[in-house]
Amino acid sequence: MNIHTLIENNYTAQVQAFSQSLKFQQLESGQLSLCEIDQFIQNLCRTHLISPQILSFLYSIAPPAVADTIQHNLLEELGLDAEGICHPELLHRLMAAAGFDAQQRTAIVAAAQDQLRSRCVTPLMFGTLKELGLSVLLEVTCFEWMLSQLSSRMGRALQTHRGLSSEALEWFYHHSEVDVRHAAEGVDSVVEYVSYYDIAGDELETLLDITFRENVFIRRYFGALTPNFGVLTPGPTDVSLEAAR
Amino acid sequence: MKIVAADLFSLKIPFVEAFAHSAYDRTYSDSIVVRLEAADGTVGYGETVARPYVTGETVDGCLRFMANVLWPAVRQQDYAIVPKTVDKIEGGLDWLKGIAATLPRNAAESCTDKSVIAWNAARAGWELALVDCLLKSAGRSLAHLLPPKRSTVTYSGIITTGSIDQAVKIAKRFQQFGMSHLKVKITGTDDCDRIAAIRSAVGVDPSIRLDGNSAYTVESAIATCQDLAKFDIDSAEQLIPRSDPTALAQVQAAAPIPQMADESLITMADAQALISAQACQGFNLRLAKCGGLAQTIAIAQLAEAAGIHLQVGCQVGETAILSAAGRHLAAWLPQVAFVEGSFGKLLLSEDVSRTPVQFGYQGKAPILRRPGLGVDVQDEVLATYADQTIHLDAA
Repeated sequence: MNIHTLIENNYTAQVQAFSQSLKFQQLESGQLSLCEIDQFIQNLCRTHLISPQILSFLYSIAPPAVADTIQHNLLEELGLDAEGICHPELLHRLMAAAGFDAQQRTAIVAAAQDQLRSRCVTPLMFGTLKELGLSVLLEVTCFEWMLSQLSSRMGRALQTHRGLSSEALEWFYHHSEVDVRHAAEGVDSVVEYVSYYDIAGDELETLLDITFRENVFIRRYFGALTPNFGVLTPGPTDVSLEAAR
Repeated sequence: MKIVAADLFSLKIPFVEAFAHSAYDRTYSDSIVVRLEAADGTVGYGETVARPYVTGETVDGCLRFMANVLWPAVRQQDYAIVPKTVDKIEGGLDWLKGIAATLPRNAAESCTDKSVIAWNAARAGWELALVDCLLKSAGRSLAHLLPPKRSTVTYSGIITTGSIDQAVKIAKRFQQFGMSHLKVKITGTDDCDRIAAIRSAVGVDPSIRLDGNSAYTVESAIATCQDLAKFDIDSAEQLIPRSDPTALAQVQAAAPIPQMADESLITMADAQALISAQACQGFNLRLAKCGGLAQTIAIAQLAEAAGIHLQVGCQVGETAILSAAGRHLAAWLPQVAFVEGSFGKLLLSEDVSRTPVQFGYQGKAPILRRPGLGVDVQDEVLATYADQTIHLDAA
């Protein structure tokens, strides 16, 4: 199996497991409680608010052949490209539209920052930065792969079952467009990275196994909503939206 | 120092992936965390894990014993502030023994459970919480009581049962993490193929040892060791069930792989009997199994005098609290062959400590030097993952 196919197969399996997961299906079918939907929104924002920092890290270790692509993604994320759409701002817009007050939004931003702190204080499991970099690149490009296929569906679910407007959900609809391109570029970036850093085939397989030993989307988006384990921090209850359902 | 309140958290923290051995399949941590509050407001944490197939203790039984037996005894005590002599090793050990001595060994009538070999798990959780609380109150680290003999502790990777393909995958992960010690769970099915595949995947360098979790008879244990010795195996842990030490001695005498006692080693009397019977060459010390620091150290000292190799083992699913206590013990012991635990978020979807205690590349982890056990426990994580919470106070 060539590297391209190996990576695509892993991404496809991750996306399929996510889209077929109970939580995703409950999100789409409106079976999540408002509290659970808000937790999903919080988790999603917490995950993606630090995308600029993660992309900066990837840019710093990118092989020359893909550095421009990753740099462009970073500028695009920050709204510094021709389109001028700042993605973290879209997430702030989403949080505001969902009714999270300033204190809650600050807490979500702090939780996002805390993820970076956690990554910094957790002992490194790899001998060199190249393995860590590949693991991060795999997860980031897998997210792009997933968003190119599922972000519109997630947006529609929040529109239908949480009563959010299209404007509030622009982050989802924007990603469904830009990540179609990112998805293809992402796999190419991984192939180039593997080649540039002389990562052997079996080492790549092991790093894929380590990175994707659990479903990264379920962990990031629904991590605190595992059945029977409660909700970490219940989101606000919007009575008017409850009535609208 | 009086202890004025206690909270018991019976946790259910999901695993990142299932962990299986011959006795049990686990998908979540079922640790019990003990949170104690001293009169000066200091809070200390201990942790234990109840294993019915090891000490006979269940989670519910442990909670009952803690609430009905340990708490009444602890709340009556006025614990000594950590003395200055504690810097000397003997002083530190005496202080630990003094703490352990305040914890009753026997159940009250209402807690009597004939299947319990010893209430070691329950006592260990409280001993650790007291140690953490009293040392924090004095601003001292457990490393002052148990001065480390090495600057880092090196952990082993543990490979669960399941398909051989999955076992090989896990072995390769640990190899990618640079780990040089592997323990493989075996069940009596496809053992030779499993170990051959793992040895082939990781090469000749990593040390490999076996753990049978009592799945074998004396005869099958000997035969298995004879089959597997060619893969350069360092030890075989608890192949046969806990029984008269002469049975394990039979295996030790006939098998070409050194035997290590785990479930057979729970009490001091077990240790003495195993040594007398020359039943094994290694002891697996686990704090929750052996009854906490003081009792585990007593067993370790007995073993060292008898020339028995020591392994500091762990409980599957333990959080940072129990891992930290194991780290202190492993760093302090004069000789330790292997160390297990500190998997942190490699196994748990969430750990209780804000600053991770888990090992890093090559399985190495630093000495913990912050006050108490050195863990900054997040109460909100305990609350989130508590399946059951019991509050105990002086009232």
